[in-house]
Amino acid sequence: MTASEGATVLIVDDDREVVRTYRRYLEGTYTIHEAYDGESALDELDEDVDVVLLDRMMPGTSGEAVLEHIHDRGYDVRVAMVTAVDPDFDIVDMGFDDYVTKPTTREELLRVVEGLLALDQHAVDVREYHSLLVKAAALRDGKSTYELDENPAYADLEARISDLERTLDAEAEQLIDDSRFVATLRAIDTASREDIDG
Amino acid sequence: MAEGDARADRYPLDDTLPVGLGDIGPGMNILVSGPPMSGKRQLVFDLLAPEGTSADPIVVMTTDDPVLRIRTQFEDRGVRFDPTTFRIVDATGAPGDTDPAVHRVSSPADLTGMGVAFTQAVDEMATPDRLRLGFVSISTLLQYVDAERAFSFLHVLSRRTSAAGYLGVYSIDPTTHEDRFVNVVTSIFDAAVEIRDQDGDRELRVRGISGVPPEWTPFPY
Repeated sequence: MTASEGATVLIVDDDREVVRTYRRYLEGTYTIHEAYDGESALDELDEDVDVVLLDRMMPGTSGEAVLEHIHDRGYDVRVAMVTAVDPDFDIVDMGFDDYVTKPTTREELLRVVEGLLALDQHAVDVREYHSLLVKAAALRDGKSTYELDENPAYADLEARISDLERTLDAEAEQLIDDSRFVATLRAIDTASREDIDG
Repeated sequence: MAEGDARADRYPLDDTLPVGLGDIGPGMNILVSGPPMSGKRQLVFDLLAPEGTSADPIVVMTTDDPVLRIRTQFEDRGVRFDPTTFRIVDATGAPGDTDPAVHRVSSPADLTGMGVAFTQAVDEMATPDRLRLGFVSISTLLQYVDAERAFSFLHVLSRRTSAAGYLGVYSIDPTTHEDRFVNVVTSIFDAAVEIRDQDGDRELRVRGISGVPPEWTPFPY
């Protein structure tokens, strides 16, 4: 999954007008799923969902309860809380990856979703980096420098590793932000085993 | 880092290493590797609080070393156990009394929890410009998460401290892992300090620092 295309966003809000608006903002870029309460949000959650925009104040199952459920089940999704007021608490402590204050703009919403997908991408890139390093180490085992120099597969691997190192360095700038740093670790914690094949 | 005043940001190491490496640049991450009982933890702590240098704020993340022992180690080095400048992220899972200088995480398997605790520790120290992070140990982390998650965690944590200009010092016991894993994890770090025991004599070499030849040097106990 690349950050720019094909991602799926689940919009959860009891106000259907809000859901409709967010859908209009996002559907040109992402596949949209929607839910109007916490219960159906949990039903809508599946492997395809990458980002959840979660209304905090909903009748019945609250946004926080949905979030708790997501963490308990270990779903590999990033969650932005949608709130009417600026959160007066630390979103890092609450387990949200980001937040959106209502009313929001198209630009703001796209920026938040893009940001969450970017840190997911960073977690994926670090995993791929690991996998390439393991492959390179395996190729090096018991081989002379001469043999390695003659091996096009090894040269190709080395080139991919340096490319990825540049990408990782550029992506790492976002880690200075506490919530991005923690959300990246959460993406590592929740990564499903199937993603891990390099 | 701005080149002009880069020296001002460097981290003095004093005579901690017997190889004439007097200080190290900001944002570096160092791996200290050695077999059991080789003194690598002492070396990690020495690099965090070198004798005779003015103390930088310190965070120690532990997956196995008990808080009390770490505390003693630093008290022996003349570091005051003051939560404004010294904090421990304790992921050993050991129970303990509430202590403002100790951030508890249930287990090393909780990578997110360790990250949250680190950000809280740094926030509560008012996000200093300089800080030394110690991590003991990678080997224990590996008992709780698979190699790939451990690698990812260490990569993200080390890049986080690097971006802030902090110094990171991590320990590993290479004898408990496959060589291949050790090689792969070493590539996360800017420099590696290796300790070995040669017929009862301890030696050390530093790799990855320009101007410091990677030669084995006696390192008495």
